[in-house]
Amino acid sequence: MMTAKRKFVFIAATIAFLVSIVILASNAKFLRAKGTDDCFACHEDKSLTMDKNGKKVSLFVDPALYKKSTHAGFDCTDCHEGYKPEEMPHNPNKKKIDCKTCHDKVKSPENSVHKNKDCSSCHNPHSQRPMKELKANNTNLCFDCHNNKNVKDFTTSLHFKKNIGCEGCHKGGHEVQKITKSDIPSVCGKCHGNYQKDFNNSIHHTVLKNGNTNAPNCVSCHGSHKINNSRMTIESQACLKCHLDEKLFPGENKGSAKFVANYKTSIHGSIQKDGNPAAGCSDCHGDHTIEKMSDPKESTVRAKMMNTCGKCHPGEVTKFNNSMHGREFNNGNKDAPSCFDCHGEHDIKAVLKSDEFSKINQADICLKCHSNNKVTKGKTNHTEDYKLSFHYLALKDGNTAAATCSNCHGAHDMKMASDPSSNINKKNVDRTCGQSGCHTKQLGEYTGSVHEVSLMTKGNSDAPNCVDCHGNHQVKSTDSLGISEGSRQRGIIKLCSSCHASVKIIRNNNLKNVAGTYLESFHGLAVRGGSKQAADCGSCHGNHNIRHSSDTLSTINKKNLGKTCGKCHPGASEVFINSKIHTQDTDEDNPVLLWISRIYIVLIIATIGGMTLHNILDYRRKKKDIKAGKH
Amino acid sequence: MTTEGKYLRMTKNERIQHFLLLSSFITLVITGFALKYPEAFWVKWIIFFIGENAFEVRGVVHRIAAVVMVAGALYHVFYIIFTKRGRKLVKDLWFYRSDITDLTESLQYIIGKRKERPYFDRFSYIEKAEYWAVVWGTVVMGGTGLVLWFENYFLPIINVYGMNIATAVHWYEAILASLAILVWHFYFIFLNPDVSPMNKAWYTGYLTRHQMEHEHPRELAKIEEEMSERTAAGKTDAE
Repeated sequence: MMTAKRKFVFIAATIAFLVSIVILASNAKFLRAKGTDDCFACHEDKSLTMDKNGKKVSLFVDPALYKKSTHAGFDCTDCHEGYKPEEMPHNPNKKKIDCKTCHDKVKSPENSVHKNKDCSSCHNPHSQRPMKELKANNTNLCFDCHNNKNVKDFTTSLHFKKNIGCEGCHKGGHEVQKITKSDIPSVCGKCHGNYQKDFNNSIHHTVLKNGNTNAPNCVSCHGSHKINNSRMTIESQACLKCHLDEKLFPGENKGSAKFVANYKTSIHGSIQKDGNPAAGCSDCHGDHTIEKMSDPKESTVRAKMMNTCGKCHPGEVTKFNNSMHGREFNNGNKDAPSCFDCHGEHDIKAVLKSDEFSKINQADICLKCHSNNKVTKGKTNHTEDYKLSFHYLALKDGNTAAATCSNCHGAHDMKMASDPSSNINKKNVDRTCGQSGCHTKQLGEYTGSVHEVSLMTKGNSDAPNCVDCHGNHQVKSTDSLGISEGSRQRGIIKLCSSCHASVKIIRNNNLKNVAGTYLESFHGLAVRGGSKQAADCGSCHGNHNIRHSSDTLSTINKKNLGKTCGKCHPGASEVFINSKIHTQDTDEDNPVLLWISRIYIVLIIATIGGMTLHNILDYRRKKKDIKAGKH
Repeated sequence: MTTEGKYLRMTKNERIQHFLLLSSFITLVITGFALKYPEAFWVKWIIFFIGENAFEVRGVVHRIAAVVMVAGALYHVFYIIFTKRGRKLVKDLWFYRSDITDLTESLQYIIGKRKERPYFDRFSYIEKAEYWAVVWGTVVMGGTGLVLWFENYFLPIINVYGMNIATAVHWYEAILASLAILVWHFYFIFLNPDVSPMNKAWYTGYLTRHQMEHEHPRELAKIEEEMSERTAAGKTDAE
């Protein structure tokens, strides 16, 4: 039997023991070694599993990792509270481990998508490393669950390469958010603020705001996870993805899918430059700033055309700005053409290769405006005449060297003839026609001729250049020169006579009336009568190489007359050397002829006059006799 | 008034000569002036009918007509030398003092200073002028025409200078000849009240008594004198 005093001592000792146990138990290190090691005795076996709701669950815990983890100082039972090692399973009550017992300050906001997830989904408690390390590796951690291809492609993205992880957009830690469509611009805008600002002013943003579910945001064009700066992503996959969809952009007008589809076969879309299309959508339309096509801020409106095309074609734009078209355009003439009035828009073609903009079709493009009276102020016939020209007919016959509008007028640098720097200025026409590959031979002949010297050296605008004889738009081949006149010779005579029989030109230039004397000569009469053999002006004077008789290169120089006349009058060639050709009957250089004609005129008047008088009198007298009955 | 009677004016041979002359002359006039006036309306018609080679055809036809005319002229020379009638023709066409009298009387008559008509023989001064004008014209036109035809042969000989003269002479002579035929010959055979509407001798060969009385009274008188002499001789023979 115990005494009361002994009873008190026993109770006190027991309390002291229990208190010391509690104190000791609170010292983790002291207890852990023993308990944890006991656990690892089984749980370091990699094959250790259990059935949990029909699933085989691994019960392996790597002791090495555990000992390195932030939880290394804790005993298993610190978390696995109430586990009974002697029982299988240890946790018959299926009591959940609550991390918040310790981590009571960790909170997931309501809007976090991971709100209802176990901590262990991200944080493995047996190998949990310090947060610093976790943050550095959290992208891979996310991939543990978010392992579809789209998300995994993030590793190829520009963001990933620049060490921006998932948390860069989705927020990290416990605040992970799903990004809704309407959030996207602001999420991207956190870093790409300027682009967001541009985008907010764009047509895409406007329709997005208006609730159009097809309206694109950042990821529609750039992709979500797999963002990189390849242009192919932007162009073909992004813009055309929507803009080729006939359901989204119906019809055939500007802006329709069909209209945009032309891009794919255009020179911009079909020709590669550094592996990309020569020009992509954004090269002309801009990217984030894209506006409605009618918006004056849009880069493809008429007013901005020169800047937009000039980004890649600066030379052409400079020429254009100096051209007649360009000056009118810059003066605000709404009829003046801009780039795409001639070249087309999405269907823009290479100049030489395509059917639409080949030489033969160029006339039609120019005539779109130049057969319109409003544009050309009535001067249309001569341009339509081009289609009757030898040039056009030759093109039609497949001679691709034949000239079309731009060959003479220039393309971007076309100017009015009155402009001294124009290709078709009176003084430049010969070089335009004689340009390399065209009429170089004829230019050589024309150079140094009386006509050329008079025009170029003396500045005499009466002197003809190529087009004064051949016509400009309705330029004729030499054989067809006289079609309307019946013969080639008559055509030439009519042509030369337009100046050499013009009183004004003869007087102003102190010329001889060679046309008049020629027309009355046998040569002239024969040609007028339709002879196809008699000499015309060119037979003696040459065509392009007409020179004064005093010029030793002239066909009518004394040295060359024999040869020239001898073409038709063989053997008689020497006699021409001292002969005057363009003489008239009254020419004082030929007195015999003068007197013969004078005598004959007197003779004819006297004889025929006398005869007429004689017969009138005879008739009257005989009639009088008959009347008087003298039969 | 007696209109009966047939008086031989032109034999068949002479009529053929005249026909060759008139047809070649008209052809030469047309084809010649067609060269000089290529834009005239009637030339355009001809060109329209002949077609594209009208100018070349014109030249060939002109030369053929010229050959016909010159050939006819050469035959005529033969005719007047080697036939009796031909020699008489030249004799009758030659100029005599009586022609001056005829001319004076004729002029007096037509201006009304004389009542009687001039007493013309077989060929009046009108016809003589006509004949010798044709002779002159044929020589001039034939000569200059030949030069122009073979221009490459003649050019070294007469030069461009001579060529221009030949051209001018051919031209002026053509005008003179054409107008002379028109004014002088056509008047006397068409409009002339004595023969109007036409003197048919060029295809019948004969003149009427009426025409003889008016145009060739002296010849008529000679013929009748000869006839009466022959009748008298016949009577004498008969007696």
